[in-house]
Amino acid sequence: MAVPAPNHPCWQKLAGGALANIKTEHLGTQLMAKRMTRSTDPLPARAAELHAYFTKWERILSAEVAQLTTL
Amino acid sequence: MLNQLISTEDAAALIAKGTPLSIAGPEAELDKLPKGNWIGGTIPYFMLPDGGAVVRQGKVFVTEISGAGNVRFASYGPAELEKISGNCPENGLSIAIIPAGSEAHQNFAKDAANYPDAFLKPTVGWIAGVHLSELGRVKPLVYAGFNGSKSADQAVVAYVELPADKLASVEIVNLFEPGDGDLLQFPQTGFTVKDCLVNGKTMNFAEYVRSKGLEHGKLPLVGDYTGARINASLQNVGAAGEAVSLYAPVFSDIQYHFARPVPDYAAAFKTRLADQQAAGLLMSCNCILNFLFGELEGKSIGGVAGPVTFGEIAYQLLNQTMVTVRVQ
Repeated sequence: MAVPAPNHPCWQKLAGGALANIKTEHLGTQLMAKRMTRSTDPLPARAAELHAYFTKWERILSAEVAQLTTL
Repeated sequence: MLNQLISTEDAAALIAKGTPLSIAGPEAELDKLPKGNWIGGTIPYFMLPDGGAVVRQGKVFVTEISGAGNVRFASYGPAELEKISGNCPENGLSIAIIPAGSEAHQNFAKDAANYPDAFLKPTVGWIAGVHLSELGRVKPLVYAGFNGSKSADQAVVAYVELPADKLASVEIVNLFEPGDGDLLQFPQTGFTVKDCLVNGKTMNFAEYVRSKGLEHGKLPLVGDYTGARINASLQNVGAAGEAVSLYAPVFSDIQYHFARPVPDYAAAFKTRLADQQAAGLLMSCNCILNFLFGELEGKSIGGVAGPVTFGEIAYQLLNQTMVTVRVQ
């Protein structure tokens, strides 16, 4: 499954807190989820950061990418 | 790629050839090394394939980093640490060494997870220390070999720019799992704790630790970071009513439990490392408290080699954790 497009509604949902529900053992993703809950950046900026994150790490996070539109 | 304990003379020869290196060793040995393409930090403790070792003279632990990609170096003061990830190449990795007990150490511990691109461009590395017999008398140091300086309050960084088809995979081995005891929360983020919430009820933390018989410090607090287990280890437990100092800060938005005991550290590491591939391994480090409480001197833990440090870095500061970095 490919990383959803930047304008997909999942990104704002994930950045708003849904990423905390992801099932993962990947340290960077777990800490990124905590970063999202702590961040005071505007929601669109957090959503863009998450899109960039999963685009970069797509190759080693296929199980996590498959969850993005379901969380 | 070279990742082993070698003579100081051999390390100097590698530097003379221009090889980019990350080096760990005693201050007297690092002082002998020439200016060149390297960063370093003081520490006399190492995990080696055939067992943990303490080295006081004649050798340093050298990690050759040029095999992973193009390398450049930088150093930053305690107020500019966000540049560690901020200045990292797009497809890159930052290897950072920071002296224990410094303002840089404190600032990095509190803020690293919030630095720009912290999870797009991973930072790994370790906290420099000293021989435990020198605690409080000798300052941990980092070395910017690229400009011939050493410092007790800078972060030194090697930036590795990876080829487009490679990624840096940061992995940890944390032997500690949260125990079944009380839920602990801390009203303030910091390295020094006076009060805590025990199952929601305010208590003096030192009094709580002593009431549980945990003032020996062998068991860390294990924090839940959306599933990741991140430790904060006890450094000193004051008398009841006083404060507890920690090797890493606790955060006000994290829930903690004291860890379950680990009966045999060496066996536990071997079991965990048996599942890890050796391919692409760039560097590793492990914690001095694991070395000490696990009595790892002379004990093999599964072939991984690197410095034994006063804190480990995998995106942020860790305690009582092994960190490995793989380029794949």
